[in-house]
Order: sequence, then structure tokens, then C-alpha cells
Amino acid sequence: MSAAKRVQQWATFARTWHIFDCKWQDPYQSANIIKKYLMGLHKPIYHPMNDCGDVVVCINSREIALRGDDWRKRAYFHHTGYPGGASWTLAWELHNKDPTMIIKKAVYRAMKGNLQRRHTMERLFIYPGEEIPEDIKQNVSNQIRQLRLVPQRLDHIPEEEVQQYPKVMEYPPDYVLK
Amino acid sequence: MSNKNLFFKSGFVRAPLQNGVGRYVCQLQRIVFKFCKSSGGSRGLRDYIEQDLVQFAEQNPSVVVYLKPRRHRSPVAVAEYLNGSRVWMNFNQKTHSEILKWIENLRTQQDDVAATRLRKYQYTDHPSIQGPWTPFTFKDPELNVAELPNVKFGANNRLPKTATEELRLLFEKQKLEDVKTAE
Repeated sequence: MSAAKRVQQWATFARTWHIFDCKWQDPYQSANIIKKYLMGLHKPIYHPMNDCGDVVVCINSREIALRGDDWRKRAYFHHTGYPGGASWTLAWELHNKDPTMIIKKAVYRAMKGNLQRRHTMERLFIYPGEEIPEDIKQNVSNQIRQLRLVPQRLDHIPEEEVQQYPKVMEYPPDYVLK
Repeated sequence: MSNKNLFFKSGFVRAPLQNGVGRYVCQLQRIVFKFCKSSGGSRGLRDYIEQDLVQFAEQNPSVVVYLKPRRHRSPVAVAEYLNGSRVWMNFNQKTHSEILKWIENLRTQQDDVAATRLRKYQYTDHPSIQGPWTPFTFKDPELNVAELPNVKFGANNRLPKTATEELRLLFEKQKLEDVKTAE
């Protein structure tokens, strides 16, 4: 193989590091997107027998959003293997124990259960907050777009911007706001 | 790819030394017909030898043709090619017209094509003019200098505009128009 071809091979099969912000995202819907990047399904060169999966770094996993009353109703099952070893942990309990666990399990469940799955999972990094180790941060060269818009709280918008926002009408001065 | 193909030689569609582009060299070098003079299984091959073999030999002077009669054995043809490969083909109980077609196949093929699994049905020395894909093809060049994570690259940009946003833009437009009319 000539030098140019060798470099071509490196370029085509280079692993890209993607970053994904989990803030206000549904972990089960995001998992389907993250899965594609982890397995390399987004690449035109994809083939199940070539190793073209990318690395995904998830941040803000503490701030995921579950649908409906999933926080109270969704249970995660675990069995120790001993009689009476079954346990059901509610989503909010699991999230309190380990804020990275729900997104991890969602991605794991989104992938087909084959021999490759555990190796693919090794390429997923999840961090509960904004902070990423520097050696991981400097590899990141792409960002995966979120599914949902992140809502902004009124008290987080700067005061001037709120003042300048167009209004249909002003409340009368003697109007008592509830 | 199923299990039976695991030990099946794989390859690409190739013509040796661009055979047929400009000049054609018949790849078949030698063909040996083995048959029985009396048994019924050789009937088709005997018919072929009687009716068509001389014409075949005349039309293909580069092919050496051997006839090998042998008693009470099934008829076969063994073809040898320029690249040294050898193809054995059973002609037992085959009719004259079938044998005619199979021999045409042996004459025109360049190797034992049936013994290879073709990975692709086409082949090119130049698969791409613009070069193979890399992760950086079609990427936004702004990403090269962007500090990630960044809301600009992370937010969903495929959602339709909300009614609130639509109204706000209308208001901005109206303000601009007001400024224009005032001037």
C-alpha cells in the first residue's frame, strides 16, 4: 500500500468524537440517535463487519427529562441471582444514586443484543454535569444536535431582554397580579 | 453471506490484462472430451462430436481439442485455461443442445467463474473521482474553530418556528418599517 493510500485509509476510518448535551432531552429518544453515532450507522462506509463506530460524550445527564410521570412510575429491574434477589428501583431513585445510569441503560437497550454491544458501549462516555476531563474534551470535534428545544426559564433571561420583548398590552397600574 | 459460502473463494470481476479491450485472446487452451462409445449417458456428447466438433475446432484454431473414449464411464469435459486453471464438467445425461451451450460457456469464460463468489458485480480501477469519503467531507468548516459544546451546533435546527417567534419577527419587521417611514 502506497503512502497516499495509507493516509486515505486513516482518514476514512478515523474515529470522530461527538458531544451530546442531554439537557432536557428524552433519554429513550436520544438513545436512538446516540446509537447511530456509536455504531457508525451515520457513515456512508458503514458495514456491520468494519469497525467504524464513533465515540460519543454525553454531558448534563443529570438534567434529562422523562415523559409523563415516568420518574415515579418507571422501574428498573435487577436480580442478584439469589432467591428473593429481585429488586425494582424507580427511575427517580436510580437517578439519585447514579445520574448517568438512565441514559446508559437507554443506549444499551436501544442497541441489538449481540457480541458487539458491550464493546460499542465502551465508546460511550457519560458525565452528569458540564465538566469533562480535559483529555476527552480536546478530542471532541463534532456536536450531535438535540431532539428537543431546551426551554428557557423567565428568570434566567436577562432583565433588559424581558423589558424589550413586544407586548400586546400593558397591565393597568392598579391591576393586582395573582 | 451464508455458512456454505465461508470456504467459497471470493473475488472481483476481472479480465486478465484488459482482455477484449483492443484485442481478444481466447483464454481456453485445451479441452478434453471423455466419453463412452456405447452407454446412453454419453449420447448427447456423441451427438455433439458427430455434428459440431469439427466446426468448433475449425473456428477455434488456438484451442487444442482431445477426444478420449473410455468404456462405461460417464462423459465429462475438462477445460484448461491460460492462467493454468482447470475446469471439470460432467456431461452425463445432457442433451446435445445443453452440451452446445455449456461448451460455448467453457470457451468464452476465462477461469472457473462459477467457483468464485463475486463480492461485487462490477469492478473499476477508479472507484471515485472526488476521492473516498472521510468524516470531514461535507462538514461545516465553522466546526473547526468552534468551542464545543456550543448551543449553536447542539440545538435542534429542524423544528418549525414557534408562533411566539413568528410574532416577534413580525414585530421586528414592523419596527424597521416604522423607522423607514419616519425618515
